[in-house]
Amino acid sequence: MADVHQDTRPASLVVSPAPHVTGSASSARLSWSVAFCLLPAAAWGVFLFGVPALGVLGVAVAASLAAELLAGLAARRVTIGDGSAIVTGLLVGMLMPPGVPLYVPAAASGFGIIVAKQSFGGLGRNWMNPALAGVVVALLSWSDGMSRWLPVRSAAPTVTAVPPLEALRNALTAGAPRGGALEMLRASGYPWSGMDSSVVGWVNTHVLSLFGWHLPGGCFDLLVGNISGTIGGTSVPLLLLGAALLLSRRVIRWQLPVTYLAIFCLAAQVFGGLPAGGGWFVGNMLFQVFSGGGLVLGAFFMATDPVTSPLTRTGQLAYGLCLGVLTFFLRTFGSLGDGVPLAILLGNCLSPLIDRFTRPAFPTQRKAAPG
Amino acid sequence: MTRRPVFRDGVLRDNPVAVMLVGLCPAAAVTSRVIDAAWMSVGLFFVLLLTRLCQAILHALRAPDLSEPPAPGAPPQTSVFPLRPRWLGSLLLSSCFTAAFELILLAFAPSESASLGIYVPLLAVNCLVLERFQRSGPEDEPESPVRVIARSLREAAGLGAGFAICLVAISLVREILGSGTITLFAAGSFGGTIEVGGLSSVPVRALTYGGGGLLCLGYLAGFARLLGRRKRRSGATEAGRS
Repeated sequence: MADVHQDTRPASLVVSPAPHVTGSASSARLSWSVAFCLLPAAAWGVFLFGVPALGVLGVAVAASLAAELLAGLAARRVTIGDGSAIVTGLLVGMLMPPGVPLYVPAAASGFGIIVAKQSFGGLGRNWMNPALAGVVVALLSWSDGMSRWLPVRSAAPTVTAVPPLEALRNALTAGAPRGGALEMLRASGYPWSGMDSSVVGWVNTHVLSLFGWHLPGGCFDLLVGNISGTIGGTSVPLLLLGAALLLSRRVIRWQLPVTYLAIFCLAAQVFGGLPAGGGWFVGNMLFQVFSGGGLVLGAFFMATDPVTSPLTRTGQLAYGLCLGVLTFFLRTFGSLGDGVPLAILLGNCLSPLIDRFTRPAFPTQRKAAPG
Repeated sequence: MTRRPVFRDGVLRDNPVAVMLVGLCPAAAVTSRVIDAAWMSVGLFFVLLLTRLCQAILHALRAPDLSEPPAPGAPPQTSVFPLRPRWLGSLLLSSCFTAAFELILLAFAPSESASLGIYVPLLAVNCLVLERFQRSGPEDEPESPVRVIARSLREAAGLGAGFAICLVAISLVREILGSGTITLFAAGSFGGTIEVGGLSSVPVRALTYGGGGLLCLGYLAGFARLLGRRKRRSGATEAGRS
């Protein structure tokens, strides 16, 4: 037996337990890349709504950082450097309406960081998405402030600002004549922009008339996100751009957001017409996806939060299914925002259970299983 | 023989809400206003105290154990309270006193009775659970009945006070932050409600929902654990020094 105390290993070898992952990936890098990919949509919000939106975003991020610093000092473990607080603050700001009083984003960020994240042990131990927890508390507490929408800057100052989704809900509760989403909005006099009417008119007369098709007004506004809504949720193309970046860098996986959106679209298309008095299969899923709110933002940037979503691919498919169904029901029958924040929070609660059911088995265990 | 401080234990070491996590239903449900929490605490305090008192007296009178045949030659015991399962006595007593408290509340504070609702009758359950929690006395020396009764009462008062402190603390946090007010007894020119400047116009209404109560409860329990751990640690270092 050799002398066990004699260390003959080369100095360059590092002995450590699994996982043996090398690379430059770290929590901080992931956070920064998510924050970077959120920037285009946030910048669009600032462009659309001007200084108030910038103020809301700034206050949300600043409050988030301050809360992280305070909680870190209290726990003697300052983790402000991992960048996750910036992502949380940015998401809180992007889910707020631009006209919200500034104490709301500050309180939402503070609640998210201190209660939903640091109280449970910090990043990686929070079972609930901090940004969404903050936003849901804000929705429950200051529903008045959380519905102060602003018109887009290019609109005439007389225009009353309501996101298309809210306008549709208002029209439904007011008992307007039933029909498709865009028809109902036109009937209630929803103010689309001048650019929208010229672009849709041009496309209708020069392109689609050849096939005998016709686009309703508002399509262009909805497509580019030139609508009133939350600061970060209006522009679907820019959100998709950020999501594509994340996907290409493998920060997120496609299974979860794609299942989520697909199930939601399916539900919206099949059952979405029922509340409006239509039949089956007459819902307008594209309207539901593009009409502001936080669906795309939530699907790619919040549901995919690696801490609060299931670990396995099968689990993520199941999770996406749950989220899609929950979002559809909460949006159609709920009264709290557009249903996305609450649906993802409920999904977060289910996530450990899904992990438990989809735990991968070792080959030996599989063989030993009966049947 | 070391005599444990039974009253202080009921408030701190064995606090019903923050440590034993008993009686969470009222702690989450009736703590959105301070006055509700205060009435609930008063109710529990007196029902628990009276139940304990009666139980201790009956116990001191030595109810005979009917499950065992009397020893031959022993004098026949006179049965004072022959119900042997102890909890049955507790159940009867606590539900009697709860009903009495309910009637008193209905007579003197009917609006309060309405806002507490089902949680007043449920006091009986809380008291039953807390009544079961009873430490036996020191085993090495027999105690006089008076001393047993006194200890039992101190213990009940400690538990009741611990319950009251937790409920009022939770309700203060919830009402100040959640509604921006403090609702107390109306007396004379004082209308009973204190408005907290700045908060009463934009309260954190989420705290007034049931979830807010559970949140405060969680923080309270966590805080109690933290205190307990710190105390144990300091106790350990003291023991190490001596």
